[in-house]
Amino acid sequence: MSVLPPDHDEAAFAAYVADLRGVVGDDWVWSGDNDMFPYRDSFSPVWNTPEEIQASSAVAPADVDQVQEVVRVAGRHRVPLHPISTGKNFGYGGPSPNVPGSTVLDLKRLDRVIEVNEARNYCLVEPGVSYFDLYQHIQQRGLKVMIDCPDPGWGSPVGNALDRGVGYTMPHFRDHFGAHCGMEVVLPDGELMRTGMGAMPGSGSWQEYPYGFGPDPAGLFAQGNFGVVTKMGFRLMPQPDYYRTGLIRVPRRRDLIKLVQHANYLSDAGMVSEIRYASPLSPLQRQPEFAALVTKMGGPSDAEMDAAAAAAGLHSWAIDLQFLGPEAATAAQWEYAKDRILSDIPRAEALDGDHFALPATEEQLENRTQPYPTAIRRKGALGVPSLGIWEIVRDDGHVGFFPVLPRDGEAVFEMQRVLGDASREYPLPPYFSAITAPLFWHSFTFQMVFAPSVRHADPEHNAMVHRAMKHMVAVAAEHGWGDYRAAPIYQDDVSASYSFNNHQLRRFLEAMKDAVDPDGIIAPGRGGVWPRRFRDRSRT
Amino acid sequence: MTTRRDMLKWGAVLPALGTGWHGAFAAAPQGLDALVLDTRYPGALDLADASMPVWRFAGDVTPLWTGHLSARWKEPGHVLGGITGSDALFVLETLAEHRGRRVVSRLALDLPRVNGVQAYRWIIAPHHPSVTA
Repeated sequence: MSVLPPDHDEAAFAAYVADLRGVVGDDWVWSGDNDMFPYRDSFSPVWNTPEEIQASSAVAPADVDQVQEVVRVAGRHRVPLHPISTGKNFGYGGPSPNVPGSTVLDLKRLDRVIEVNEARNYCLVEPGVSYFDLYQHIQQRGLKVMIDCPDPGWGSPVGNALDRGVGYTMPHFRDHFGAHCGMEVVLPDGELMRTGMGAMPGSGSWQEYPYGFGPDPAGLFAQGNFGVVTKMGFRLMPQPDYYRTGLIRVPRRRDLIKLVQHANYLSDAGMVSEIRYASPLSPLQRQPEFAALVTKMGGPSDAEMDAAAAAAGLHSWAIDLQFLGPEAATAAQWEYAKDRILSDIPRAEALDGDHFALPATEEQLENRTQPYPTAIRRKGALGVPSLGIWEIVRDDGHVGFFPVLPRDGEAVFEMQRVLGDASREYPLPPYFSAITAPLFWHSFTFQMVFAPSVRHADPEHNAMVHRAMKHMVAVAAEHGWGDYRAAPIYQDDVSASYSFNNHQLRRFLEAMKDAVDPDGIIAPGRGGVWPRRFRDRSRT
Repeated sequence: MTTRRDMLKWGAVLPALGTGWHGAFAAAPQGLDALVLDTRYPGALDLADASMPVWRFAGDVTPLWTGHLSARWKEPGHVLGGITGSDALFVLETLAEHRGRRVVSRLALDLPRVNGVQAYRWIIAPHHPSVTA
């Protein structure tokens, strides 16, 4: 189905497309069903339904000058642009926009690694640079820095950071937006702005001091629609000498409370990389009686869970610890972690894991040398891009709801119970049960995951998934748990849940949007922020 | 140089080859630059055409991408045929589209699914003028 931009007829659209071609050339503007297929969200639960939001066109400028001119053309024609970097945001909307008929501003041709500085540990890249590209650039030059990449690694550092994506290494690097330092932005009127020290002509510290002077607007461009980011700096970890792992497991259900507190200390003190939580009881889910216990309404009692663990001879919880640094330091940190936790939690156990000098061999990267079963994906843990995660994708992809919860064991138990009960009415796998472990992706908080699959050939299933997603967002919000990142079709639901003082945050952002982009040229609706032009029609 | 006529030719050839393993690419036209075989499917290990490079992998596209395709798909040309699971094909198709290439033909094969994944035979060819000229 062909789509036109808002308030456009065929003739007006043709004139607009002609103007875009005048900027970038005939070969770099696309429209029509065949050419626009790659810009659809192939993971959409509303695939091929009237709710699916499809773009009218796409344009791929070659450089920043062309980006500025495309923004000006779109402004003259009042066509919303939806900027993407590499467009791999699967599970969160892919390359699809918030407004039907938008033009996808595909920044894939801005693909320069401008600088990697191993003496000061940063990089400056354009949006079309993928994690694979950046990794290859570093490896080919033998630079002694480590990237932090998501899984899969085909996305871009800019795009991933701007959607507040995460990786799997040390806390101050795996929060990708938190690790950025300086950006260049094309504003809705086509002007070019640099943040932080980049605003000072001649400064040499753009990638070292993010704030500059005065208010820092950088946060407006993450999950935002105030401009098109054309360059972005990131802090990089110096290549560590050594990698070490260890497993600590605890016997009782409520041991999770203390275990989390110890893990928080180790992480916040900068001693460990990403901590992987797991329940050694997970394999028991194949037993119907145990599966019924952990998913029963209201949740099982602690005594029931402890009895089940004891009967199976298994521990209740485990944490995979990872250490990066000098060999002696990693050994000392592991010894410290063991002493700290085993001296405080009765019958806790520690298992020495794998350890080796970096860079890792292929066998070590494939994680075939770990002496116990582990949830660690070694490539991600060591900043090596991979596409192997695709093995977990089922059907035609999935949607994702990742509620943020306090980094606290009691909060874990509460989310297990509340969202477990809320999800039981849907015929889906048990994403929330009494053995669901928290994710420690972001540096200082937990998340859990609800990611039902979609099937292009099964609209009834997709409709059920769509209902379930909205229901889970609403129930979570009632308990103060909000999503961290959402596909366009859920961004209004999620945004509405951040409603303190009659949605004052959203009203503040929309007041700014009205001031700098009243026609909604840059991604109207992204992050739930609508300009006046679209506000009424989007919320009715 | 890859022409529109080439793409039509490659698009037409797969249905003529049937839906089984044997001879899957024996009749492939001249111009196919490499063949990708997914070793999760029985038969992938003994199927090969000596006239072109054969790259085998077990579902994870990473080594195929970093070792071969990332560099080759930056340059014009390069037509790739493959027999893979639908999951690997999705990854390759997404990577291909980013580099101005398209799946010009795909055919579900009459093979047992592996972990629920359907096997396909396909051809990816340059499409955008930046890689066809």
